[in-house]
Formats: sequence, structure tokens, C-alpha cells
Amino acid sequence: MTQFSRSAAQYPLLWIQTTSFSRKSSTLDGFYSHTLLHTAVFPQNPEMGYLSKASKILRQSNYLSLSRNFNFNPITGRITNERFSMTRAVLCSHSRQNSTAREKNSIDLSEYPPELVRNFSIIAHVDHGKSTLADRLLELTGTIKKGHGQPQYLDKLQVERERGITVKAQTATMFYKHSVNGDDNSDGKESPNFLLNLIDTPGHVDFTYEVSRSLAACQGVLLVVDAAQGVQAQTVANFYLAFESNLTIVPVINKIDQPTADPDRVKAQLKSMFDLDPSDALLTSAKTGEGLEQILPAVIERIPAPPGRSDSPLRMLLLDSYYDEYRGVICHVAVVDGVLRKGDKISAAATGQSYEALDIGIMHPELTPTGILLTGQVGYVVSGMRSTKEARVGDTIYHTRNAVEPLPGFKPAKHMVFSGLYPADGSDFEALNHAIERLTCNDASVSITKETSTALGLGFRCGFLGLLHMDVFHQRLEQEYGAHVISTVPTVPYIFEFSDGSKLEVQNPATLPSNPKQRVTACWEPTVIATIIIPSEYVGPVITLVSERRGHQLEYSFIDSQRIFMKYRLPLREIVVDFYNELKSITSGYASFDYEDSDYQQADLVKLDILLNGQPVDAMATIVHNTKAYRVGRELAEKLKNVIDRQMFEISIQAAIGSKIIARETISAMRKNVLAKCYGGDVTRKRKLLEKQKEGKKRMKRVGSVDIPQEAFHQLLKVS
Amino acid sequence: MVKSTLTPMFWALTPKPKSPKQPSPAFANSTPLVRHKASVNPTTPPPPPPSSAYIHLPFCRKRCHYCDFPILALGSASTPDDPRLSNYVHHLCREITATKPHAHTPLQTVYFGGGTPSLVPPTLVSSVLETLRAKFGIREDAEISMEMDPGTFDAEKMREMVVLGLNRVSLGVQAFQEELLRACGRAHGVKEVLEAIRVVKSCGVRNWSIDLIASLPHQSSDMWEESLRLTVDSQPTHVSVYDLQIEQGTKFGRLYSPGEFPLPSETQSAEFYKMASRILGDANYNHYEISSYCKSGYECKHNFTYWKNKPFYGFGLGSTSFVGGLRFSRPRKVNDYFNFVQNLENGLVNSSGDGQIHGKDTAMDVVMLSLRTSQGLDLKCFQESFGSPIVLSLLEVYKPYVESGLVVCLDEHRKSIRVDDLNNTERKVVYMRLSDPEGFLLSNELIALAFGVIDSWNDCPSYQEAEATLKQEFIC
Repeated sequence: MTQFSRSAAQYPLLWIQTTSFSRKSSTLDGFYSHTLLHTAVFPQNPEMGYLSKASKILRQSNYLSLSRNFNFNPITGRITNERFSMTRAVLCSHSRQNSTAREKNSIDLSEYPPELVRNFSIIAHVDHGKSTLADRLLELTGTIKKGHGQPQYLDKLQVERERGITVKAQTATMFYKHSVNGDDNSDGKESPNFLLNLIDTPGHVDFTYEVSRSLAACQGVLLVVDAAQGVQAQTVANFYLAFESNLTIVPVINKIDQPTADPDRVKAQLKSMFDLDPSDALLTSAKTGEGLEQILPAVIERIPAPPGRSDSPLRMLLLDSYYDEYRGVICHVAVVDGVLRKGDKISAAATGQSYEALDIGIMHPELTPTGILLTGQVGYVVSGMRSTKEARVGDTIYHTRNAVEPLPGFKPAKHMVFSGLYPADGSDFEALNHAIERLTCNDASVSITKETSTALGLGFRCGFLGLLHMDVFHQRLEQEYGAHVISTVPTVPYIFEFSDGSKLEVQNPATLPSNPKQRVTACWEPTVIATIIIPSEYVGPVITLVSERRGHQLEYSFIDSQRIFMKYRLPLREIVVDFYNELKSITSGYASFDYEDSDYQQADLVKLDILLNGQPVDAMATIVHNTKAYRVGRELAEKLKNVIDRQMFEISIQAAIGSKIIARETISAMRKNVLAKCYGGDVTRKRKLLEKQKEGKKRMKRVGSVDIPQEAFHQLLKVS
Repeated sequence: MVKSTLTPMFWALTPKPKSPKQPSPAFANSTPLVRHKASVNPTTPPPPPPSSAYIHLPFCRKRCHYCDFPILALGSASTPDDPRLSNYVHHLCREITATKPHAHTPLQTVYFGGGTPSLVPPTLVSSVLETLRAKFGIREDAEISMEMDPGTFDAEKMREMVVLGLNRVSLGVQAFQEELLRACGRAHGVKEVLEAIRVVKSCGVRNWSIDLIASLPHQSSDMWEESLRLTVDSQPTHVSVYDLQIEQGTKFGRLYSPGEFPLPSETQSAEFYKMASRILGDANYNHYEISSYCKSGYECKHNFTYWKNKPFYGFGLGSTSFVGGLRFSRPRKVNDYFNFVQNLENGLVNSSGDGQIHGKDTAMDVVMLSLRTSQGLDLKCFQESFGSPIVLSLLEVYKPYVESGLVVCLDEHRKSIRVDDLNNTERKVVYMRLSDPEGFLLSNELIALAFGVIDSWNDCPSYQEAEATLKQEFIC
């Protein structure tokens, strides 16, 4: 496509003919629908400036009908070059304006009964090309204009773009003309226009629940696999999510333009791992455009229409939400049954709150009001919710007057990883508070409670869905809100049982008494089932690593001759810090890793305290497995010795389990610091030096009289 | 509403900053936030006019390896009639003349520093003194000091200087070991040192100092002890002991890093400091400032103006003055300095302030400078200027160090108060000083702590916050 566009810039007329006749007739029906024509390519050619004038005049007319009347048949309908180029330019140009024109004529969603609607999602391992493929589909259908708008169109957050991940669900509605097989097109009846909803879901395990809710709104998925890398851990996890939801799976082997691409091997993997028919796989390159034209026809032909009932009371699935400064909370929804009209009174099942549907519409790709959403359709609702906390992912929304059975599968957010967040500079608590408040407006899945640490002052205990979620939250706090934070070592929710039968869930190790009055009789920790896929030569080191992390092997098999598939049960605690990096480094980056939450299991856990001059540092307390306590204690003490500066007195660093000291280091007292003379000319210089020294102290955290540099807390994150 | 009713009540409850009584700790807890606004933020009254002058004579034969001062290396071929000398002194006198006299107070101290002032011919020194006398007047009993280096003067020159009024000599000996003097690039040897000492003594200069540098590269404990013994044997009235600073941009800065061989380790260097304190103390020298020792009554009056945060003039290349509350540094390059003098004459620049000083700056300077002295910080004066909450906070932050012996609290008779007695209202803490040698050794660390206290008084409470705290208290 890019090549065409280039030649078109030079030879606009010639290009039209080229596009008209270079395509294989097998795909002509679908290919030359109006949507494709107007989006295929629009040459950015200054020589065609006069045409945009024409487009302005023509824009007033109904674009849709115009395009329909212009029933171009490349084989029979020869039009003069001049006239054609002009009309085409009108059609091709300004796809955004076209959509504006369409909005002005307000899209009539009633033209799209469920049988003309397809709801699908794209699932893939990270970097297998999901976002680029989504971009191409949006371009192909004219939803966005090629070369305009940023790449990874649906990934709106900076963190998503930087990391190439999706953390929030997005939807996009596309229109696509296609004649379904068997439909006789020769009688002059035009091909029906389909409404396609692409529901972009997060790919990571932390968001498994969000993904499952997004998938619940779909009837099928494109399972995208990199042609060179083949099936990876996230591919497996995502496949099973889709498979268990009974979705139609359309395998797409992407990036076939790569020199190392081996689609046949991938087909074989798909067959052996998932029992997917090799002949069903579509071969594409989202980069070069090769094979893309098969995708939407396959979506329409293979994925069933949404099954909802139009005549039933309204049931809507809440997919995700975000906060807009001007409009408040905007919810992405899928209408499962019934119809939603603007002005309807609606209620949310999980919260019991009622709202009015102030504005509804579709994402095309931006908010496009339609006044109505019908069965099977996907769009947005603005309802005056004040906070995204009211918009629970997976909740059912219904007409207030007509209570319904909620849709299955709703679960409140489950927080698996906890960490304390403190302002790096103690005086910045208000700033951090503000930043967190604003960020949680857009990420309601974080649980926030205030906590106080003697070392770090006022801060927050935050619960996250998982590691990536935590990381993303930190990154967004820093990037979007400029907050500087100290984070305590992430921990998982443990359960301790005491001799009196009472149980305590511990989200912050400091809250577990070091010398409890009641004896601890049992402890449980959350575990995960981890999927690891590695080239076979790395099996040795990986098994060693996983055993060190108290992993228990559940499955071991070959995907093909070169790659191993392993399943392990691992304590969540063991993968919270640094597991993935370690795995990557021992496998030169070839390992892929994914996990799903599993049950709590009993374990021999102890609380490890760090004491500075006999005073426990609450923010440094951790819960570790008994067998590892000594090693971890020694490592922590050593690390701290290296990062805490000498002070005017001796400092003892101790690691302790209860009242038993298991490791000790000493930092000897400072003997002397700079003793410059101080005469008239030196006063200013000396002052500056001392003020700098004072500023340095101010940034330190203090326990008893010991100053702890922030670096110490960052270092602790590196010991597991 | 709340503000208008509460504020007057609050002020009525608040004692005046100059309350004669030592406020109780409870009082400190309840009122600090607003108090400092009343006491620290307003500017202190304008300082008295200067009665001290520092004169910078930047000439050296060569630059020492540790030196980053603004100096002019003349080279060994230079003669006393070198035009660079007279040209500079000419500009220096023009600067003195062009300076606005702050108020007419005759000078009590004049200090010729360098460089190596003793390289300047007495006739030129005389012209400087004459210019000062004409401009400000010099008191009969004024202390007139000069830094002199061994090998740059003989008995004749010394006598000429004494005739001009010079009555205090600061002799830059630095070390008594040939190899150390050579290693730090000094332009003299041990022979010149001994000769210079003889000359100074023979010319009837009673008040003189030997300056030593501790922690030189390759300096051993024995060498340091030898230097101290020989110093004591020479019977100067004053000894300055400087700890070697490795400054960026110097030869030492390129060659060495502090605490690493061939420089002594931190521990060794601390031992050197303690050794000086012990040996000089045993020889009846008072350790009256971190790096200064003297026989009773022979403190350097000029340097005391610095440590008491009193104003002083500064003239010459790179020198700093403190006039009208402004610390002003002159250009460090000769041509820039000459231009500055020109501009000063034309009224284009002004080297003195308008008499206004920010309270916080003064508080920091006072603490920093006075804690360098054995006299320490006069808490009574400090409280009168800056309010009692700040004093209480200082006591609070230093408490652990009073306990560990780094800080000493003294009553009005300069008797030390034990940490348990700190809250005893009978014995008021009137002075606070750093202990010798342990407290002095960690002076930077300890002074930085005090800075933290002073700083937090200033950057905390906006008025609203102070009010919020108040409201809470009233609710409780």
C-alpha cells in the first residue's frame, strides 16, 4: 500500500488504473466496497489541491449515499479518468471529515440488526503485532486515516505506547461492506454493510479478569501469532481464555515478511497445542499489508453474530471506563439484550446506583453520538457517574424500571500485590495524594488506603491486580502526574492463623506482630500456575531458577522439536520481585512467561524485621519463607551497609525473626568531615556547602536518629 | 470568620519574642508556627559600619599545588620594581578611594592576605595604608596583620614593615619537612622557615602566628608530631592548623582524592587533628576556633570579625566584603578587577548592600560561624534576635549529640550542663559549643543539622496551615 501511495503521488491518474486492475478478482467483491475505496490510500499530493475544494462542496451531500450510488465496478464500469480521479479524491480524502459527514447524517444504527454485527477481539503475545494489526483494520475500513493519527491508535496512554502493551480496554466501531458467501450478488443487490466492533483488550495476566469481560462481549477472536516466534506463553493463556468462553478463534500468523518467518512451523504448533486447523490460519503482514484483505471477510464469515435478544429487557455489559475531565466517566459497554436510548434511566447491578444515559454512541474511532445502541452493538455511555469506581468492570447495566438477572461472570477486583507508596520528599504528601486521587479516577482497580510508617511518614498502601499493574501505576504516577515516590517491597496477601483460631490477612508485613501473643499455627500464601515456554537448551537453568523460587512442576512437554512448554505452581511471592527479569536474563530473552492466579497453599512463613540501632524499620519488614530467611536477612543487611552513609555514631543493622537476630552488620561512626578554614571570603562558599549537606539530610528518611537515604529503599527491591 | 476571631486570641496568648522568661517546652509546642513569622522573617536592624579591612595582595612566586586562590604567579625572576606590583597596588588604592564609606569609623583591624603579601615592597604597602588612613582612618591600637612566607623577606624588610605599623605576622610555614614542602610546591625550604622565624622574632613582632597544614600527601604521624613540636618550640603567640582541602582545578585535585593514599585516611586525618589539639593544648595554647590556637589574649582580632558575623571591607582581586548586609565578591581575574575599579569610580557598580538582611540568612551565618569558635553560640543573643522556638528546636536536635559529647551546653558561668539537666529551669543554657576535638571534627555535620532547623522554620507553615493547626488545638 505504501508503495502505491508513493507512485500515486507522482502519477495520480496512472495509479488509479493500477489499483483498479492489479487486484486479483477473487477478492474483488469485498475489496472494492466503498469503504475500502475511500480509505485505501489517499495520496498527499499538493498538485491535487484543487480537488479538496471540490470535496468541500461535495461534503454537504450525503456521503454514504454518494458512495453507494457510485457503484463502481472495475470490470464493467469504465469512467473517464478525469471524472474518476475527482470523485475518488472526494471519496478518499479526509476520512475524518467523511466520518464527520456521516455523523451529521447521524449513523442510523437501526440499519444494523445483530446479524450484520460482529464483535471480536485481537489477542496475542506481547509484540506479536496486535496493535499494528488493529491500526491496519481501522485504516482499511476508513475509521482512521492512514498515516494520520498516532500508531497504536487504541493505546492511548503513554505507558501503553512506550511498553507496547495495552492496559485499558478500548472499543472501535468500523463499517465494512461485504457480501456473504452464497449471497447472490449478480442480481444488482448491493452487498450488505456490516458493523464491526473491535474490542481491544489488555493482554497481560494481571488483567485476566478485564480480558475475560471484554471477551464476554465478543463472539470471536483473532489469535495473532508472530510467524517467527511462534506460540508464546501469553498466546497460550489468551487462547484458553477465548476457548473457555466458547469463542470462535481465527488464527492469524502475522509478520510473515520477516526473513526468519516460518508460518508452517507455527501452523504445526497451533495444531499440536490448540488443535487449530492449519488451513484456517490467515497469513499476514500488518507491516507490508500482505494478506490483510482476508481478515475482515474471515471475521464476518467465521464469527457468529451476537446472540442477544432484541425484544428482551436491556442488559448491558460494562467493559471498562475512563475519566474525561469535561464529560465525567465514560463507560465502554456492549448491549447484550434489548435497546438503550438516550435519556433512558439505567442502573448498575453491582453498585445499585441509578443514572441517566445522557449521551450514547459508538467509538468511531472517537466518541460519535448515535442516540441509540441496539442489541449486539458496542459503544459508550455517558451517565454522570462521578468516579470510575462506580463503573465496575463486568457489571450489568439495565433499565431502572426493568430489573434483570445480571450477566454472569462479574467479580470485584482482586488485589494480589500490595506495596506502600510514600512521597520521596516527606513534605510532598499532599501532592502525592492529589496525584493518586486523579490517577485512580482513571484506574479504579487499584485499592488505596492511607497508612503511616515511622520511617517514611504518611503514605498509601496500594493493592494491585498484579505486577504489571503495579509497575504501570508507578509509571503513570511519575509520567502523568510528576510524582516522586518511594515504593516499599511489594508483598502478597498472606493469611496467618493464630493459636486462638483467629486469622489475619496481612497486606503489609509491618502489621504482623513480630512477637505475637498468640502462637502462629499456620500460614497460607497465594500461589500461581505459571506457564513458561523456552527453547530447549535453557531447560537446565530455568528449572534451577524455578526450584529456587519454590516452584513445583505440573507439566512438561515439547511444543515442537525446539521448544519446551512447562507448567509450574509457584508462590506468588516468589515471582513478585525480579523473577521475570531473571528468567529473561538466563534465557537470553527467549523465555516467555505467563501465569494465572491459583489457590492459597500452606507455607512455613516468618516475618523478617530489619532493625537500625535496635529500632525496627517498619517499611523494611518482609515476610519470607523460613528456609530463605537467613539468606535474605544477610543480603538485606549487607545491601543496607553499602547504601547507608556513615553518621556521627555507630549504626548497627540487624535482621531479626521475632527476637532472634539472624544477621548483623555495623557501620562505624564518621570520624571527621571537611574542616575547611573559614575566613571572610569563605563564608559564602562554606554556607553553600553546608546548605547542600542540609538538603541531603532533608531528603533522607529517618528512623530513630539514623538517616536512611532513599536509595536504600530502592536497593531493597532488588533483594528477593 | 474563624480567622478574625481566632487570630487576636492567639496573639494575645503569645508572649513577645523578647520575653525575658525562658519559655516552657509546652509553650514551644503550641505556638511555633506563627511565632517565627514574627521573629525570623522580618529583617534584622542594619549592622554597624565596618571597622575591619581585608586587603588582598595576590602575588606569589609560583602557585602551590593545593591552592585555588586568586593569585598572580610572578615567576622567580621578578624583582621588587616589577610594574605588575605597582600597577595592581595603584588600582587597589583607587578602589579604596572610590568606596563609599559606610559611616565614619576608624579601622580597628587591617589584614593583608594573599597570595604572598610579603612579596610586595614596603613602599607599596605604605601607600595602601596611607590610602586607608585617608579614607577611613586607622586607630592607634589597630591590629595590622600580614601573611608572610619564608624566603620572601629579610630583617630589613621586616623592620620597614614594622615601621609602617605592621604588628602581627602570620607566617606560612605549612610544614617542617623538606620533602613535604617540596611535594606541595612551596617556594621555600626548611632553612628559610627557620630563618624567617628568627627574623620575625628578632624584629620585635610580639604577635605572630605559625600556619601549618595537616593531612598533606605522604605526611606521617611522626612528621606531623615533629611539626607541632617545632612549632611549640618556636613559641609563636598563635598557631593556625589547616586541614588540607583538595580543591577542584588544583594540581592536588587532579592527583589525589581525599582519604586515599598518599593522602591520610579519614581516621588518620582525624588523629592528626586530635594530636594538634592535644600537643598545642598541653603547650598552653587555647583552641579558640576550629583551626586556630593562641596564647591567652592573642586571638586574631581580624578573624574574629568574621566569626562574629560583623561587617568588614574587602579590597583587591577576588576579595569579599560584608558591608550593609551584602557579601560581595570582587572579580578573580586581574582585567575584570581593573574594570570593576573603573566602574566603581564611575558609580556603575556598588559593592555594599542597603542594610537589609533576611533573618534566615543571618541566623544561618551566625550559627555557622559561632559554632566554629570555642565560645560557641550565645543562645541568649540568638533568642533575642530570632525567637525562642528556634532555640528550643536547636536544643532538641542537638540533644543526642549533647549526650554523646559532641555538643556542650553551658550556663551563664560557662559551666557545662549535663544532658539530664537540660530541662532543669534552674540552670539555663546560655551557650552552646562543639566539643574539642570530637565536636569540631564533625562540625560540618553538626552545623548542617542546625541549618535544617533554621530552614524548616522558614519553609514550613503558610499562614493557612498555621491557622489550621490552631483550629485543631482549639477543638481539642
